[in-house]
Amino acid sequence: MKNAAIIFKKEIKEVIKNKNIWMPILIITAVFSIGMPLAITIGSNAILKDGDTINFINKVFGYTDDPMRVLIGFTIKQFLILLLMIPAMVPSLIAPASIIMEKESNTLEPLLATPIKTSELMLGKSLTALVPAFVISTINFILLAAVIDITSYIKLGFVPLPTIEWVIVAFVLSPIISFIITIISIIVSSKSTDIRSAQGIGSIIIIPIYAIIGFQIAGFFLMNIVYLLLGCLVLILTCPLLLKLCTKIFDRENVLTKWKMK
Amino acid sequence: MIEVRNLTKKFETVTAVDNISFEIAESEIFGFLGPNGAGKTTTIRMLSTLISPTSGKIIVDGKDPQKDGGYIRSITGLLTETPGMYEKISGYDNLDYYSSFYNIPDKKRKDNIKKYLKMFGLWDRKDDLAGTYSKGMKQKLALARALIHEPKILFLDEPTAGLDPESAHMVRNFIENLQKEKTTVFLCTHNLEEASSLSDRVCIIKKKIIKIASLVELQSDKKSKKAEIVFKDTARKYVEILRQIKEITDIEAQDNKINISLKNAEIINPTIIKSLVDSGAEILYFNEIKASLEEIYLDLIKEEEK
Repeated sequence: MKNAAIIFKKEIKEVIKNKNIWMPILIITAVFSIGMPLAITIGSNAILKDGDTINFINKVFGYTDDPMRVLIGFTIKQFLILLLMIPAMVPSLIAPASIIMEKESNTLEPLLATPIKTSELMLGKSLTALVPAFVISTINFILLAAVIDITSYIKLGFVPLPTIEWVIVAFVLSPIISFIITIISIIVSSKSTDIRSAQGIGSIIIIPIYAIIGFQIAGFFLMNIVYLLLGCLVLILTCPLLLKLCTKIFDRENVLTKWKMK
Repeated sequence: MIEVRNLTKKFETVTAVDNISFEIAESEIFGFLGPNGAGKTTTIRMLSTLISPTSGKIIVDGKDPQKDGGYIRSITGLLTETPGMYEKISGYDNLDYYSSFYNIPDKKRKDNIKKYLKMFGLWDRKDDLAGTYSKGMKQKLALARALIHEPKILFLDEPTAGLDPESAHMVRNFIENLQKEKTTVFLCTHNLEEASSLSDRVCIIKKKIIKIASLVELQSDKKSKKAEIVFKDTARKYVEILRQIKEITDIEAQDNKINISLKNAEIINPTIIKSLVDSGAEILYFNEIKASLEEIYLDLIKEEEK
């Protein structure tokens, strides 16, 4: 563990310095956790004046005498799913950078020649992507809750968050997604020689997340606890397989003889 | 210190190292020579536990790399052929990072970083990013990294590549001095002069071992030898006499000197001298010209290719 912590400590300093990682995250935070929920809750009166919106709410949720609450509830479901972009995106930006930098600078062989275990190396690299992903995602989910709760309280006198769905998405689904994307990004990075191609492939990996977001926005389904728990279960089941594959890829000999190097 | 028995490494269908065996004593400098693709780096990687052999046995400091990889890596230092550094952190931080994986007390670790940075003339640039270092400075930093935990065994792959003559000289002196500290050095190099001046023994490899011996042994084993004969007067008139001796394979005359290549030198030399003296030659000197490691190496590789 000590060696994994040494790697984490060094790498996290470099992540903090890397604007290419921070800028997209800041933009997404500003737009999806603060800007848009704020705009929707503040402008909910104007939104509800639109006949189509009322028709949509009545069609999807059945007739209600409090469309404002339904609109805010619907908004929360949409943004919870939208914010899953963050736990998926952060590791897909950090993990390839961390692996490919080692390849580009020919530092893997001397590192593997130290007494470090490959499991510690893999853990250190994974934590470098996982910890920021968890911290940033949690901040975003809390920001979303704060923005919606404050504006809802001011406008309607009630605080809609936290809900069970919010807790599951923020503290169960989000870390699982980060873990899976981290492991896949590491696997992909072992076969890439430059950061752009690895991150390009990384962006393809997170397409299923975007697809889920798109399907809900398009009205194909609406997130509920059953769907969430089912999704978590499926993803948890894939974790051991991915971890096994990643451990195999991180074998010393594999790193030196089968990884694609510059 | 290192024992290798019938070591073979195959990568799928390609045999990189084929059934090699050797032993290296404590504090020996062992030159490991061979053309590109001869299996040198693969052998170093097997000895330093980075990859495992397909078959055969390795013992390093009494331990099996398959079982005690961590221990072996803690007592060995490795300078790779293309030594990389983290370019966005300082030279000092590079050494600080790598050294922290070894079980060395913090004060000793910091003292060692200072010692080696000073020794290699990098102390004044310790806070500069490693990416701003010249190729030679990076090579010295990589050497410092390999030494930072004061290993018992040092694997050096082309240690003076990219260094200016002064730095290369300094590194060679340093390697020589390691022997006094009982460090065993496994030296891979294409610089045969360097191998010749530093190594106690050399191993010439081309997937299989072609020869293991000290330079003196290699020179005395050489079938074809060279000699220089210096005459009091002009040398050309004795060329014909020498041509009649069938063991002499090559003759070059210049001014009062003749250089000859010959077989069975120890047997035929008295005959050569007698023939020349009988023909009236006044011989000032008759010297054996010792073959350089380069000549021996090239001959052995050529023979192997036949």
